Amino acid sequence: MITMAREVSAEGRLITVILFSVLIAVTLGITIWASRQTKSATDFHSGGRGFSGIQNGFAIGGDYMSAASFLGIAGMIALYGYDSFLYSIGFLVAWLVALLLVAELLRNSGRFTMADVVSYRMKQRPVRTAASVSTLTVSIFYLLAQMVGAGALVALLLGISPGETYLGMSADVAKIVGIVTVGLLMIVYVSFGGMKGTTWVQIVKAVMLMTGAAMLCLLVLSIYNFNFGALMDDAAKASGVGDAFLEPGQRYGVEVAGDAWQTMVNKLDLISLGLALVLGTAGLPHILIRFYTVPDSKAARKSVNWGIGLIGTFYLFTLILGFGAAALVGKEAITTQDAAGNAAAPQLAEEVGIHFGGDFLGAVLLALIAAVAFATILSTVAGLTIASSSSLAHDFYNSVLRRGKASEQEEVKVARFAAIGVGVVAIVLAIFAQSLNVAFLVALAFAIAASANLPTIVLSLFWKRFNTAGAVAGIYGGLISAVGLVFFSPVVSGKLNADGESASLFPKGVDFAWFPLENPGLVSIPVGLLCAIIGTLLSKEKDDVKFARLQVRALTGAGAERAAKD
Amino acid sequence: MTTTQPVPDAGEPPGDDLETRSAAMHDDPRFQELRGRLLRFVVPASIAFLAWYTLYVLMSGYARGVMSTKVIGDANVALIFGLLQFVTTFGIAILYSRYANRRLDPLADELRDELESEGRS
Repeated sequence: MITMAREVSAEGRLITVILFSVLIAVTLGITIWASRQTKSATDFHSGGRGFSGIQNGFAIGGDYMSAASFLGIAGMIALYGYDSFLYSIGFLVAWLVALLLVAELLRNSGRFTMADVVSYRMKQRPVRTAASVSTLTVSIFYLLAQMVGAGALVALLLGISPGETYLGMSADVAKIVGIVTVGLLMIVYVSFGGMKGTTWVQIVKAVMLMTGAAMLCLLVLSIYNFNFGALMDDAAKASGVGDAFLEPGQRYGVEVAGDAWQTMVNKLDLISLGLALVLGTAGLPHILIRFYTVPDSKAARKSVNWGIGLIGTFYLFTLILGFGAAALVGKEAITTQDAAGNAAAPQLAEEVGIHFGGDFLGAVLLALIAAVAFATILSTVAGLTIASSSSLAHDFYNSVLRRGKASEQEEVKVARFAAIGVGVVAIVLAIFAQSLNVAFLVALAFAIAASANLPTIVLSLFWKRFNTAGAVAGIYGGLISAVGLVFFSPVVSGKLNADGESASLFPKGVDFAWFPLENPGLVSIPVGLLCAIIGTLLSKEKDDVKFARLQVRALTGAGAERAAKD
Repeated sequence: MTTTQPVPDAGEPPGDDLETRSAAMHDDPRFQELRGRLLRFVVPASIAFLAWYTLYVLMSGYARGVMSTKVIGDANVALIFGLLQFVTTFGIAILYSRYANRRLDPLADELRDELESEGRS
């Protein structure tokens, strides 16, 4: 076991830079190819609906398994042990909601965006405006978390520590270079390659991620003669907390001795997080639009099944990687490199490489896993960008501003510019936010999706009485309560860490928090649902014929959008 | 705002565009059967997996004594319960797909083909 953070060697950096460059070249090649095939709105928003179930299953995996999943969960398991497994489980079980209630029905009844289904039997402009606002909020928050992470990661992967420079860049400069590079790449992927380019980038990433993680797991397990129990044992011993490392309570629902109130709050927070994770996935706009890229609802079902298989296997890998990092790298070395443990997986790769083949193999494996992490960031941010640009162009520009009169060419053109706009906004916000603690934004994005989007989607498919007022109230009610509660929670102000420094977004001394939970789901999900129901009942609007049409279309696929012919 | 009821007169031929035919199909016993079959699987399965998952989350928060009981070697209840969540997720996905292939797709395809064919038989 090493006890100090290892310096990244010069040759290691060189390999990393070469692999990053190869990856960028390959993805740009895909983008150029895809841009030649992207002409119609169906091509741009939905990749021509020509992807097979398996291809889309890999793309779902590529879209969903973000850097937060790969580096974040592996790091959290390495530092806090068992608890972070809850994240993996929530993220996985959530796919049953998508499989059973959303994927096939959405594919049959919609065209390009989530709003197509929700607004089907309602007044177009208010519902699409609301859906667009919610899509953009979820996507920008998620995007921001990924991009701030990307900046830190690039600096980390190149091994630039504070006070040092590489290629003339200090760590701070490298972070900004990382954010801008990721931002520009995602703009290029989306605005030129559209959904076809984005999907292929995600497929490539999913294959790289699964291969890289599987290889690393095999190497870690082989050190322990494929005895997972011995690995757990070692991880628990190295953690310094013993068996507690393998039990719930290190990270979530922490019991504070002598403080019954805080203990209760922590446990409610755990439940609140668990709810948002399991109900959020099927309301994430960038996940929902993936179901439109296949020819029919059967392929949508198949793609979710492949997604579940890949994602589930991957989260089992992260358990091995996390325990492996705890045992082989050690807590001290992990937190020295990055306090949140985001470097644990790359550090593990290096350590395992050194174990099997000395410093050079260590450098090679580190560079490989770094490239996988980079691909992971790129494909997720591209998915978020296309979800935002599709919603802006299709829902807001065409349906709200132009009342559905814009031509296909016009809509695609607007979508391309929207991707540039969203990308620029994300780059600027990420640069301003880079020194802030924005990890909570991922959980917040899930909470908004679970509070604002999922109830309205499910009600619009199954509740005959549901109407415009209900959909609008449900979306805004869920959105505002989730964002509002987090704003007045300890993640934004008033929380101090063990050293007495601010653990919130705002600096020490600012404290306007009154909502005790860090995760709003426990309150905001019921609020969103109630707003949708009350809004519906307060309005007299009712359209049984359109509901009948929607349900028949959703269940039989009659009149569903077809794949574009090449 | 339209509030017309989707009840075409028995003797009167319904309009021949797809939308009108779809609205009429909603009252067809075969469609009601299709919807019934979907809901008969989806509703109990959703309640079951959400309850099972909620139980797991609640026990992680409030039944730590049970969760930390070791079962085999270092594997405690918490780990096994967590892994069982994976098993049930894969299991429900497989069961649903088999059910859908057998009980939903043939009927849905029949209704879709009927609706989409130009001349009504």
